[in-house]
Amino acid sequence: MRLTTPASAMAAPGGGAEGRRCPLGAAPSPARSAAGPRRSSETMALKQVSSNKCFEGFQKVFEHDSTELKCKMKFGIYLPPKAETGKCPVLYWLSGLTCTEQNFITKAGFQQAAAEHGLIVVAPDTSPRGCNIEGEDESWDFGTGAGFYVDATEEPWKTNYRMYSYIKDELPKLINANFPTDPERMSIFGHSMGGHGALILALKNPGKYKSVSAFAPICNPIQCQWGKKALGGYLGSDASKWEAYDATQLVKSYPDSHLDILIDQGKDDQFLSAGQLLPDNFIAACTERKIPVVFRLQQGYDHSYFFIATFINDHIKHHAKYLNA
Amino acid sequence: TPELGNWAEGLIFYHMDLYGSKERFDIFPEEPSGQADRSRGNSRKEPALSSEKIQHSQEAGYDLEKEVAELAKMYGLDEDKEKELALLGGHLETVERRWPPAHTQKAGSQGSELPGEASQDEDQSKAIAEDDAESHMWSREGLSSGGMSDERSSQAVSEEEETADVFCSTCKTPIRAFDKLFGEHRDHEVAQLSNAVESEKEEIHKNMCKLEEQIAQVENFASHLEEIFITVEENFGRQEQNFEVHYNDAVQVLAQKYEEQLEALGEEKRRKLEALYGQLVSCGEHLDTCKELTDTTQELYLENDKANFMKAAVTVVDRLEEFLKKEVDLELSTLPEFEERIIDFSEVEQLMNSINTIPAPCAPVINPQAPNAATGTSLRVCWGLFSDDTVECYQLCYKPVSNERHGDEQAEHVLKVKETYCTITNLLPNTQYEFWVSALNASGISPPSERAVYVTAPSPPIIKSKKIRSCENAALVCWESRDINPVDSYMVELSKLTDEENDDTITESIVGIPNCEVLIHLQPIQSYRICVRALNLGGSSERSEPVLIHTTGTYFCLNEDTAHPLLAILDDGFTIACDELENLECDLPVYDNSFTRCIGILGSLIPFPGKHYWEVEAEEDTEYRIGVAFENTPRHGYLGANNSSWCMRHIITPSRHKYEFLHSGMTPDIRITIPPTRIGVLLDYENYRLSFFNADIAQHLYTFNSHFQHYVHPCFALETPGILQIRTGIAAPPWTALP
Repeated sequence: MRLTTPASAMAAPGGGAEGRRCPLGAAPSPARSAAGPRRSSETMALKQVSSNKCFEGFQKVFEHDSTELKCKMKFGIYLPPKAETGKCPVLYWLSGLTCTEQNFITKAGFQQAAAEHGLIVVAPDTSPRGCNIEGEDESWDFGTGAGFYVDATEEPWKTNYRMYSYIKDELPKLINANFPTDPERMSIFGHSMGGHGALILALKNPGKYKSVSAFAPICNPIQCQWGKKALGGYLGSDASKWEAYDATQLVKSYPDSHLDILIDQGKDDQFLSAGQLLPDNFIAACTERKIPVVFRLQQGYDHSYFFIATFINDHIKHHAKYLNA
Repeated sequence: TPELGNWAEGLIFYHMDLYGSKERFDIFPEEPSGQADRSRGNSRKEPALSSEKIQHSQEAGYDLEKEVAELAKMYGLDEDKEKELALLGGHLETVERRWPPAHTQKAGSQGSELPGEASQDEDQSKAIAEDDAESHMWSREGLSSGGMSDERSSQAVSEEEETADVFCSTCKTPIRAFDKLFGEHRDHEVAQLSNAVESEKEEIHKNMCKLEEQIAQVENFASHLEEIFITVEENFGRQEQNFEVHYNDAVQVLAQKYEEQLEALGEEKRRKLEALYGQLVSCGEHLDTCKELTDTTQELYLENDKANFMKAAVTVVDRLEEFLKKEVDLELSTLPEFEERIIDFSEVEQLMNSINTIPAPCAPVINPQAPNAATGTSLRVCWGLFSDDTVECYQLCYKPVSNERHGDEQAEHVLKVKETYCTITNLLPNTQYEFWVSALNASGISPPSERAVYVTAPSPPIIKSKKIRSCENAALVCWESRDINPVDSYMVELSKLTDEENDDTITESIVGIPNCEVLIHLQPIQSYRICVRALNLGGSSERSEPVLIHTTGTYFCLNEDTAHPLLAILDDGFTIACDELENLECDLPVYDNSFTRCIGILGSLIPFPGKHYWEVEAEEDTEYRIGVAFENTPRHGYLGANNSSWCMRHIITPSRHKYEFLHSGMTPDIRITIPPTRIGVLLDYENYRLSFFNADIAQHLYTFNSHFQHYVHPCFALETPGILQIRTGIAAPPWTALP
């Protein structure tokens, strides 16, 4: 079991203090496997797993059958009070390694700011689950909980591990079809591996997202251990193919500068010092290419959700500025 | 037409009823009602009339018609009535053709126009007009009471009604077209009845207008007469009093003269008589002495004794000789005539003359200064005369009030003025002047009035344009007085400038400002022209030179006195430059308030709550500090190095552009990939924020969260030689609302 992995003995890189299979402790939402309230949702494709009133809006979890990933997927969605009367922009959150849709919605404390700014916040899971692929649960930084937001090209992953396309196409389509969204206004942010996902999705799809931000993102995966392992596993050993999913590499070919990137990084983040995140490479590339980045090295903060919760409001505001402009 | 028939009926009966109502004639005693009744009665009994008579009566009817209309107008009856009256006229005449109504008949039969008759007609018409509104009622009453009602007349009307459709201009009567063709009107000029009615109405209307005009004229004249009446009474009364006073004086003087003359005359008489009496007495004494001497002498002759004779003779002879030596004074000591006396009538003459002249006037009364009677260089002084004295002119004197007691008395100015007011020009602003006035006429000059102190209005203040600050909602305007003497208050006038031309409309005035500074609340995104006036007792000054304020964004100036000696402010007032860092120790002027280490400068205080945005443009490699600081931030320290300033600092390290966000010397560790060349600064007092932006790409760079206990000054500094351009008056871009 993954609990035997040395990494999880310290702290899960996704920031969750508990492992992905651990019970969610004091989390308010019902356990994922439990039979939650099963009100029929707006469409046949969606099954509501939970719904909790939160800051006058609702924090819900839905399950659906993903065509892209060929498995059941859950996602958290926060519907602000404004969604009851009008269309709202959507902000996608991508979580880090080992996380599920639960971590962000239970720990980041983003709902108040999202309610205030009228943003729908969608937090999908981090990988396909239960696909019975050999080795998918072998390590915490590859396979389940570590989709890395790429479309795998290698067997046995390439059938299910298509998180890039899932986030880029299927999920927005599903969300726009079932919730009062404004499809023209969407942004993306994430943490760690999710920060990497947010950056590459924004950089690979100019104009698709109004803004992007990240907490301690893996900025240059082709240069770090996590990245090499995941990209090698999903895309094969040809490192040149990895560059298509490397934010630092993507910046070099990003066509314009109409993207305002906000990055917060804890100075005491052990993965920063371990060379997994490499923000300096990204900043250097952005400086070179004149991509606007504000990078804030936050004194004393680590890689956890405590760090995220501290600066989540800044990020919500950052996105609200562009989504509500 | 039954309706017309009804009208005709109504009018006829109405007519009758009028004649029946006796009281209407009571006011014409010269035409007793009985007689009128009788004549009317007669007329009805004599239906056959000669054509001549008819013509006569038609004329009378015409006159009546006109009068009716005029009176109707006078009594406020409207057009409808006029139409009815015209109808009435028509019907009347139709009736007249067979049974002329009494009054016309009367005119015809009597063949003369009595003055009373005309007025009676008028009165009847008036009654018609007055009661017209009630005509139906009246007619019914008339019908039922029916004293004078005549079935035949109503019948006749309904018959005639249908046929009269043409108007004979020659006979002035409506006729039937049939008559034109075959009747007596065959050779007459005719017109359509309706046309005739129209032209008649027009004529009537014209005359009524004339009449109205006359009424107005006469009324005016009458009221004028009344005024004159009063004036005459007043004038003559005054003159009577005048005569009484003066003639009494003259009589008194004459009486006094008479007394004096009599007394003098008596005195002279007494003196003369006394003198004569004295002479008479002395004559008698003389005679007595002579007689005694004669007697003594005669006695001597009788003495026979020679010796005795001789003895006695010697003494007698001596006495005689002595007596005869004295001369006898036989001259009159006084003349019987009285002395010629010159009687002095000059006083009386003067008195008599003065009856038609006038006394020297009394002292006028000078008014205290009236509001708005002063400008900066002129005063309007007013005074009055309480007596009825005749005054030819006034002598107005004035001089400035000087506080200094000793000498140096200011020269008096004297003016001759015909009116009881005078506007004095070429005065000094905001200065007190003393005025007094005397009245003059041929007889002399009055004593001077009391002295009144007037003060000229102040000079217009000067707005300190370098101290103006404004934002979207407010402006702080400062000014200075040009006068040495203090003024009472100031007034600020705002006019909102619109695209239209009329810029001079004052949209708001703020009065009673005690200091040389005011905070004005304004509306966002407008332009205002602002002027200041100074006020004292004398009034308000002219407007100051106006300043324009645009409430598009926050505006401030740079406080030159805070500038580091190496920092130059270019002519536009918003560009600061530092050329070199050398000779820091040289003798550049240092103000008490200026920065001594940091090559910086403060902008003026931003004293408005709310949000304020400005921008600074810099070259990519310019090293600077920009932010805000409290007034008392240490001048010897660096901006951001203390807890009284907050700033963004840009420096270039060998490896990169380095951005610091400094307060108390601390900065977060922030990397920015694009060096901003246009830095937006958002100061938000309400939300305790100071944010910095890369304004070119709307990128939020950093936000200080700080509760500013006081208002702050913008601050700017250069770390190395370079130029900063400060842009104010910019609306905060929408992307500054959120970081």
